[in-house]
Amino acid sequence: MRFLPLVLKHLRRSWIRSASTILALALCIFLFCTLQSFLAAISRNLKTANASRLVTRHAVSLVFNLPLSYHDRIAAIPGVRRVAMANWFGGARKPGDFSDFFPNFAIEAEPYLDMYPEIGLTPEERRAFITEPRGCVVGPDTATRMGWKVGDTFQLESFIPPYRAARPFEFVIQAIYHPDEARFPGADKTLMFFHHKYLYETTGRRIGVGTYVTEVDNPDNAGTVSKAIDALFANSDAETHTETEQAFRASFVAMAGNLALLLNTIGLAVTFTILLVTANTMSMAVRERRNEMGVLKTLGFTSGRVMGLVLTEAAVLGLFGGALGVLLSLGLIRALPHAPLIGPFVRGLAGFGLPLSLGAGGFALAIGIALAAGLVPAVLAYRARITDLLRQV
Amino acid sequence: MAMVEVSKVRKVYQRDAQAITVLDGMDLEVPEGEFVVLMGPSGSGKTTLLNLVAGIDRATSGTVRVAGTELASLSEGALARWRSHNIGFIFQFYNLIPVLTALENVELPLLLERLSRRERRERALTALKVVGLSDRAQHYPRQLSGGQEQRVAIARAIVSDPKVLVADEPTGDLDAKSAEEILTLMETLNREYRKTILMVTHDPRAAERAHVRRHLDKGVLKAS
Repeated sequence: MRFLPLVLKHLRRSWIRSASTILALALCIFLFCTLQSFLAAISRNLKTANASRLVTRHAVSLVFNLPLSYHDRIAAIPGVRRVAMANWFGGARKPGDFSDFFPNFAIEAEPYLDMYPEIGLTPEERRAFITEPRGCVVGPDTATRMGWKVGDTFQLESFIPPYRAARPFEFVIQAIYHPDEARFPGADKTLMFFHHKYLYETTGRRIGVGTYVTEVDNPDNAGTVSKAIDALFANSDAETHTETEQAFRASFVAMAGNLALLLNTIGLAVTFTILLVTANTMSMAVRERRNEMGVLKTLGFTSGRVMGLVLTEAAVLGLFGGALGVLLSLGLIRALPHAPLIGPFVRGLAGFGLPLSLGAGGFALAIGIALAAGLVPAVLAYRARITDLLRQV
Repeated sequence: MAMVEVSKVRKVYQRDAQAITVLDGMDLEVPEGEFVVLMGPSGSGKTTLLNLVAGIDRATSGTVRVAGTELASLSEGALARWRSHNIGFIFQFYNLIPVLTALENVELPLLLERLSRRERRERALTALKVVGLSDRAQHYPRQLSGGQEQRVAIARAIVSDPKVLVADEPTGDLDAKSAEEILTLMETLNREYRKTILMVTHDPRAAERAHVRRHLDKGVLKAS
């Protein structure tokens, strides 16, 4: 601590250089924390998928619906406990305006709610929802954001042509679900569910089923049942593709390419670049002060102490850079759900935030990069002979 | 008792494949409280001898004993600690740290001691008083004249109360008036504070202030 004022004064000497290095480190940590937070949220989202649930969609694309008649045929396959229809509705309060978007699904209520205990409802709430044709269930986060309570009504209009009707769909909030955080950590609290029957009838009974969700009686049979479902509809007009719920969700992530690889590659490239920039800055700072290091050694500072001063300088840069980077990342992560365009997507990522461990990791990474960058100049300062250092005058 | 004893010292520098002998069998004895000046042409080995006595370089062979300590027997770390207690080094170009005030520059060697911040400040202020610059304690080197900078450097050299002061052309970068002031200060340190001083200089007027003048030529020491 006695030497800290000395270190800080040295950093203030070339404050533009110090500030640039801190900013470079902050940028690196900002990217690291933000990108990793995205990956962590996606990964958490995938982990909430249940191993005993399968999702069946059209083999060609999710865009195409499957016939309603598949429901009973899937239900008859050995190993299937229950089947539920679920269509992604893509509704917005104002057509084309996704600024306050939340994910909404038309579901076959009873089997779907049985399959998804994370949609926590009391028996009374469940009954109220099932018995009201225009009823819906809303996640607590969406209800809070919209200022909704049970009994409120609102309208949604889908941008998907088959799901469009003459008038917007009107819904009555019958319940606000409350996931059991202990049993289902990371459960999505932004979803909205309404009756598939309401969608089907309002659209003139012309639509099919976006996905069938199937619960198997034993997760070990998931592969066998998947194959049986797809085999059942092979060579038909609407062939199916069945996969586990986790694989189904992961396929959305895969649509954007290998997101994890992409984000990690960007992170690594940035980190390596910042390491080089910081190493260069530290080398310059030490090279400019060779004479002063000679003076310090002459005054009785040991080589180890001089090396320690250089590393402390690097660590202080890392400390400031890390703190700034984590703060910037935290700010962005808090602002993103309210941003225009990307906000709805971010809100759909349940539990998106900067985990404490990630923030601490970013902080440690900044100090690590700075120390690694300072190591070579520090070792050179350690090894240099006093007479050589003083000869630079 | 001799404060500095240099006996049969050789110093050979290796420049690529070539060995350059700077000092060859040098003997020197400086009694406690003596003010000795080393003179000689450039390349004669004056600064090398000074560096050996100050413990910032090591002899190739022979013995260097300062304040009763055989320097060759000390490790690098021990030698650094020994320097901080026994040697005050005064450079030609002052070598103050530009980002530190005069007081902080003087305080620098005391950071190595187990002293409170207040004790360090008091001692540094006392050293600045000795060199007549207590009113400039908060000034940065760039705000001081050359003579004042050198006086701050002298305060830094004496703040740990070392036994030996080693000065490498301390007036070499100063005008005549400032040089006179510095030499008078060094005389005072020798006379009143009993510091043993070993000074290298080219300046005959500076040499006149010393008790003993030794002349070095091609690594060989002569009395003058």
